[in-house]
Amino acid sequence: MAAPLELYCWKGDWGLPSIDTDSLTVLAYAKFAGAPLKVHKIANPWRSPTGSLPALKTREEGSLSQPSKIIIHLRKQKYNADYDLSAKEGADTLAFISLLEEKLLPALIYTFWLDSKNYVDVTRRWYAENIPFPLNFFLPNRMHSQQLDRLRLVRGDAGLEASDEVEKELYRDALECLSLLSQRLGPHKFFFGDSPSSLDAYVFGYLAPLVKVKLPNGKLQQHLTSLDNLRLFCTNILTLYFPAEGREAPSRKMSCQPEGSDFDNEPNKRRNQVLSVLVALGAMLGYAILTGIVSIQRVQTQEALESSPGHGHRDDDDDDEE
Amino acid sequence: MSLAAEAFVSQIAAAEPWPENATLYQPLKDDQILLSDCASSLAVQTYLRMCNLPIQVSFRANAEYMSPSGKVPFIHVGNQVVSELGPIVQFTKAKGHSLSDGLDDVQRAEMKAYMELVNNMLLTAELYIQWCDESTVAEITKPRYSSPYSWPLNHILTFQKQWEVQRKMKAIGWAGKSLAQVYEDVSQCCQALSQRLGTQPYFFSKQPTELDALVFGHLFTILTTQLTSDELSDRIKNYGNLLSFCKRIEQTYFQEQDRGDRAASSSPRSSKGPL
Repeated sequence: MAAPLELYCWKGDWGLPSIDTDSLTVLAYAKFAGAPLKVHKIANPWRSPTGSLPALKTREEGSLSQPSKIIIHLRKQKYNADYDLSAKEGADTLAFISLLEEKLLPALIYTFWLDSKNYVDVTRRWYAENIPFPLNFFLPNRMHSQQLDRLRLVRGDAGLEASDEVEKELYRDALECLSLLSQRLGPHKFFFGDSPSSLDAYVFGYLAPLVKVKLPNGKLQQHLTSLDNLRLFCTNILTLYFPAEGREAPSRKMSCQPEGSDFDNEPNKRRNQVLSVLVALGAMLGYAILTGIVSIQRVQTQEALESSPGHGHRDDDDDDEE
Repeated sequence: MSLAAEAFVSQIAAAEPWPENATLYQPLKDDQILLSDCASSLAVQTYLRMCNLPIQVSFRANAEYMSPSGKVPFIHVGNQVVSELGPIVQFTKAKGHSLSDGLDDVQRAEMKAYMELVNNMLLTAELYIQWCDESTVAEITKPRYSSPYSWPLNHILTFQKQWEVQRKMKAIGWAGKSLAQVYEDVSQCCQALSQRLGTQPYFFSKQPTELDALVFGHLFTILTTQLTSDELSDRIKNYGNLLSFCKRIEQTYFQEQDRGDRAASSSPRSSKGPL
């Protein structure tokens, strides 16, 4: 391979290499397989070649967006983390990935996007702060409705809303899934043998945000903290494969700060202030011109010069009142 | 089913024995039922037969609308109604009938994972083929799905259902897949199942579990159903141990039981026919 493949993914925070499950899965797999990727950590999905994150730019197949496709592509390039697995272990991998998608994913979507406290305080806030200027006004909302749609369709329940009953039902499935995973992992370091495989990448992608992000409503996280081996599994992968992010973790202050300090921390505060003043001025001026409070005289200089010697036949000045 | 109702059901259920008149409802067998519903229904019937619980099968054109979750099949036992395999397994467990008690923790985790694999890939592939493949929709799905209704309801309901399934496919990222990719996924799933089964009679050695019932329900239905192309069943026929697995379960739980008990009316053989 001459030039390394380029991977676009959501940028990280809270000591994670990325805050997005799919991006985390792909990043972890690439690390496990030792694939030399040129990683662009961005917060603007419109800059990715497919319009969504993560995305892998390839020469043969264009750009790929789904984690499973990206992993298959990396495998074709001989970056295979599943090389040592037996056929039966390969089958188990497929089965447990299905388990994650069917049981844990709905609860994750609920925790991050539907639970109103978490959504307002953490999810929407993170995306609104990190997505660049004009997009941050509507992308978080659009992502929210996409996730909501997805949950509704998967559950086949058109009127789904955040309620205790839905939450209990989803969390019961998720809790079952977590304990099944914990039982399957047992005291081992990875799911199959001594080296990580694609299943480890998927489990890491799903669990790491739950382990690291501090949510105001952390019921699902409480379940996870009681399962020591799964938590250890995530922190192990973080320290072994993403040492750089681990060190940043404590420096960054976490979400629940009082409202006031939030404004001061804004990175482009000065620019935004100037912009808003300009916009306000523009609007006032436009209104004034439209309603005729102020009118603009274009005739002035030339006509004034011409008309001043020979007496002006018409008096424009009478028309506008100052 | 809501949680409160569920807790209530499991309390009541434990007290009552399995009644003789338990009934399973599914859409009309000959000219309405679709591949995916037929598979789920057969899975439930197989599960109940494995548990040795008698059930009568009742065919209703409006079964989909009778079901509490909107999905078929559902069973009516005593004064409770339960739909879909997962809740039915829990329900019978509350009554003291369980197939998975002999498994250890890891095996139970694996069993659940493989059940989700079947739901995630086989069931979704069946839905994709019957609602998103143009020729299958036109030749099989539309005429069969709309058969009980007259104009204009037949068009409206079919369109509504198709739209719903297609939106679901979009949400789970299957909308962009081609038919060939879906067949490839089915192959992958069958290969995983075949590897897991190996040379054992059932997935977890000698005793059948709900996983065996689920796999049998789907594979047998696909094998015995005539679609617009044989591609789907051909994919399964590549795996000899899955074929003999289906044959074994059919013989043990359908042919032999039917011979012993003529009253039981529904053999899965009779589900043969166009979809």
